[in-house]
Amino acid sequence: MSKNLSLYAVDAFLILDNEGKRLYAKYYKAPHKTEQEFEASQFATLKSQKAFEKSLFAKSYKQNADIILFEDHIVVYKEVSDVVIYLISGLDENESILFQTLEGFKDGLDKVLNYQLDKKTIQENFDKVSIAADETIDDGIILETESSVIAARTSKAPTNEPSLKNIDLSEKGLFNAFNFARGKLAERIQQGL
Amino acid sequence: MSTHTYKKFEDVESGAIPDKMTIFQDCLRAFNASPVDAKKSRTLIARLLRLLYSGETFPKTEATTLFFSISKLFQHKDSSLRQIVYLAIKELSAISDDVLMVTSSIMKDVQNGDIIYKPNAIRTLARVLDGSTVHATERLMKTAIVDKHPSVSSAALVSSYHLLPVAKDVVKRWTNETQEAVLALKSFPSTNEVFVNDSLITQYHALSLLYTLRNHDKMALRKIIQQYSKNLRNPLAICQLIRYVNEILQNDSSLISSFFPLLQDWLNDRHHSVNLEAIKVVVSLPVTNEQFASAVLRLQFLLTAPKVVSRFAAVRILNRLSLKNPERIVAVNNELESLINDPNRSIATYAITTLLKTGTSDNIERLISTISKFINDISDEFKIIIIDAIKTLSLKFPQNYKSMLLFLVDILKDDGGFEFKNSIVEALFDLIYFVPESRDLALENLCEFIEDCEFTELSVRILNLLGNEGPKTSNPTLYIRHIYNRVVLENSIIRSAAVISLSKFALIDSTINKSIKILLQRIVNDVDDEVRDRAIISLKFLENYEETKSQSIVELTKPSYTYDLSILESKLQTYISGDQSNFVTPFDITSIPKISEDELKIIQLKNKTNKVEEESKSRNAIKADVDDKINQTHLEDDQNAELSKQHYIQELNNIEEFQNYGSVLHSSSILPLTEKETEFIVEVVKHIFEEHIVLQYNIENTLEDSLLEMVSVVSQPESEELVEEFILSIDKLPPHGKGTVYVSFTRPESTKLITTDFTNTLSFTSKECDPNTFEPFDDAGFEDEYQIEDLSLTPGDFILPSYVGNFDLAFDELINESIGTFQLSSNSIQETIDSLIEVLSLGAIEGGQVINESSHSLKLFGKTINGDRIGAFIKFVKSAKTGVTLKAIVKADDEELAETVLNGIA
Repeated sequence: MSKNLSLYAVDAFLILDNEGKRLYAKYYKAPHKTEQEFEASQFATLKSQKAFEKSLFAKSYKQNADIILFEDHIVVYKEVSDVVIYLISGLDENESILFQTLEGFKDGLDKVLNYQLDKKTIQENFDKVSIAADETIDDGIILETESSVIAARTSKAPTNEPSLKNIDLSEKGLFNAFNFARGKLAERIQQGL
Repeated sequence: MSTHTYKKFEDVESGAIPDKMTIFQDCLRAFNASPVDAKKSRTLIARLLRLLYSGETFPKTEATTLFFSISKLFQHKDSSLRQIVYLAIKELSAISDDVLMVTSSIMKDVQNGDIIYKPNAIRTLARVLDGSTVHATERLMKTAIVDKHPSVSSAALVSSYHLLPVAKDVVKRWTNETQEAVLALKSFPSTNEVFVNDSLITQYHALSLLYTLRNHDKMALRKIIQQYSKNLRNPLAICQLIRYVNEILQNDSSLISSFFPLLQDWLNDRHHSVNLEAIKVVVSLPVTNEQFASAVLRLQFLLTAPKVVSRFAAVRILNRLSLKNPERIVAVNNELESLINDPNRSIATYAITTLLKTGTSDNIERLISTISKFINDISDEFKIIIIDAIKTLSLKFPQNYKSMLLFLVDILKDDGGFEFKNSIVEALFDLIYFVPESRDLALENLCEFIEDCEFTELSVRILNLLGNEGPKTSNPTLYIRHIYNRVVLENSIIRSAAVISLSKFALIDSTINKSIKILLQRIVNDVDDEVRDRAIISLKFLENYEETKSQSIVELTKPSYTYDLSILESKLQTYISGDQSNFVTPFDITSIPKISEDELKIIQLKNKTNKVEEESKSRNAIKADVDDKINQTHLEDDQNAELSKQHYIQELNNIEEFQNYGSVLHSSSILPLTEKETEFIVEVVKHIFEEHIVLQYNIENTLEDSLLEMVSVVSQPESEELVEEFILSIDKLPPHGKGTVYVSFTRPESTKLITTDFTNTLSFTSKECDPNTFEPFDDAGFEDEYQIEDLSLTPGDFILPSYVGNFDLAFDELINESIGTFQLSSNSIQETIDSLIEVLSLGAIEGGQVINESSHSLKLFGKTINGDRIGAFIKFVKSAKTGVTLKAIVKADDEELAETVLNGIA
């Protein structure tokens, strides 16, 4: 029995909503693998991917079984309120490791989203979800399984408050501002002419 | 940016997937603006990612434009924006041109970027580099690998791993740094706000990279294992190391004893993942019983683990083991039984199928009663799996039929859909067919079932079965009432099936005949055409039968044989695919071999047991891919062989010389006499006729430039009883041509089995020729001979497998007995059985599949071409020292026959 000795352990990572529609779907392909190899795989086309997701969802949703064997894949999954997170992998991977990875992501995301993991929050914070997923699995390689690390690696969105530091309220500053405005105005008038 | 545009994308935010073109335009506008709005840009990139992750893609030119406009954001110093920029670059680099352009910007970030996005930069670097540019990053990568921050180090290691296919020699140069990274226990720098656990997963990445760089060297691999086995803390890394241990031990099992202490440690590790990995390795190796038992002990523990996934993995391993060595895992039966009620259906299914595999005839009944307790609480789909497993079991342990029959009958009364009922009925059908003792009880219950069966299809099948099996029972009149009830109460499809079924009972005796006729006469007034027609035809048959007592009418109502359907199908297809002239002559049904009921049964029994094995294998699915393919080709091979055999017989019939030989009594399968790669490929088929034996040699010339003329085979039998009559040789065999040589012998005494060996020599005149036109260069040529393998005529060539319902009874009836003990150097009992069945061409009545590899018994039955019966009862014992030892009792109608068959075993 030959085992998978490479680092590439995960075939796909999916987040589907309560109707089986995609929120996040990534089928992994090693970056320097040739196109032909990927095309030979089961998930080469969007159509085959969607068909797979549809039957997988029908088989797994509301079962809360955590793990099933599906179409020659081990699928570990977690249902959280109205979304389902799936991790799809080959048949001879270690089931326990896969589930550990899935839990790492889910708990990490929970922390990032303030324990409000649902469809709406995922859509509104898609930047964080994408980063968290990217920090968990990198093109099929399990990057991290520890939820606190995943959470710490996911940056918050930049704040957009105009910073007050750079505003110069001295006389010189006001004069500069006036000069700048005058220059702009002159430009506009010239353009207008 | 005005508040107006802000509003717009916040609206879309909560809704469906955004529009592709809008995003494209918005992105270009926002990223080219100055100053760049960081928050808005991050949101836009998130929406772009949303598009890409839901399967949308951009054409190459647009992707490239987008790629470069995003690269403008490298100038922004907000680190949270930069992190998501890398995500977008990573995605787009696969579908854009000229991605190398951003290399220098990325490298700058790798060198002195903020820690937030530094690992992202490193990982993105692996996407934009190609084989020729990797070396430029060597210094950077080395520094990153030994970086104190685990995320940076992991990112560099994983990127190096990604780059292996294009730049293995460059990556090799940082082996030392990688080695260092395996042992370094890097902890995540803690911030004040959050507590971060260290996962030490960097070890896993470093170890895997190191292995790939070193795996060509077995010694280096052993060194890796010895060096790191005590120092790894991350469970993923340990699992990976266990796989390397497995790799070594699979190739060299003599090392097991030295590595086992390590495996034992891992079996007791606190991580379930490590346990599982170690168990998988131990059970796949030829370990001692104690070592195996320690793995089973840990499995037993995992079966009771609270984690669903651990239970699942454990029971999955057990299920696989139950196929090969069910006796070694009986220790966990108690835990398995408690898993039958597991909320995860896959676990419960595995538990049951495993239990049914490990079950012996002693505990089957208890198991079935456990199952019947909870069968009502589960879904149809799951019930079907269980019923299938029981069906297999009933064929395996026919002596326990009673409890299984009662179980099936019980659940037949439950509510359920068609699929469910159908599988029960199938199982009952099998029982009736192959376990005759169960017939009366099963039939009675089926009668009750059709009283209120809502599925027409099932009723029809059951009525048909009643018609076939009912007359054989002790009290056939009972069934007549049930069948006639259907005629009164059901729809026309069921009514017509019932009519046919009724008419079959009429042949039993005259009193029943009379009452059947009365019933049929009533049906003649039915409203439905079909029912009326069938009743009238049946009545006519019965009247005719009374007058003439002709056997042909019995044949028509109750045929004693069927045709080989796959051959019939292929023949009919050739018939209708021909042109009009084909239809001048009617289709010749006599060319299709007839199969008597007993023969049909043995074929079905064989197919059923095989099929069940395959199913369980594929459900087990570990090596499903490979196995399935083998099985499929195996099945196809079987069918193809059968078809080509048929084809040969057809050819034989067309040859004048054989016209007066009569019909072929038995044809062997096709046996190769040469290797597949030799100059001449020769296969042989043995045909047995009433007074003759014909050997058919199929010869293929694989030479490019030799023309063979006057090809014939000199076949010398050792026994003098066979007298050669004539040889039909091939005049010309061009390069890559195929031809057939027939050698005919007379068979002295038709009742006797002849076993002998033939030595075969191919003789021909070889001429060099032009490979294109096949014209010989000169006429001379030279004569040559070519030795091919010997052929033996075995008892199996005169025997056809046959089915017998009650083997013990039939076996006792046979008086001529021959007993012998043999010792064979075979590896497994199953192998021995398979080859025995092949050689003797007897049918396995019981014990065709080995359950217990240490001792086994097998019952075989068959008939010779003359109709003499042969039964064989063979006991197998296997021990490590002596191989397989078997004791065979062969009984036959004829003393000499028993002797010959017994000798055929050796």
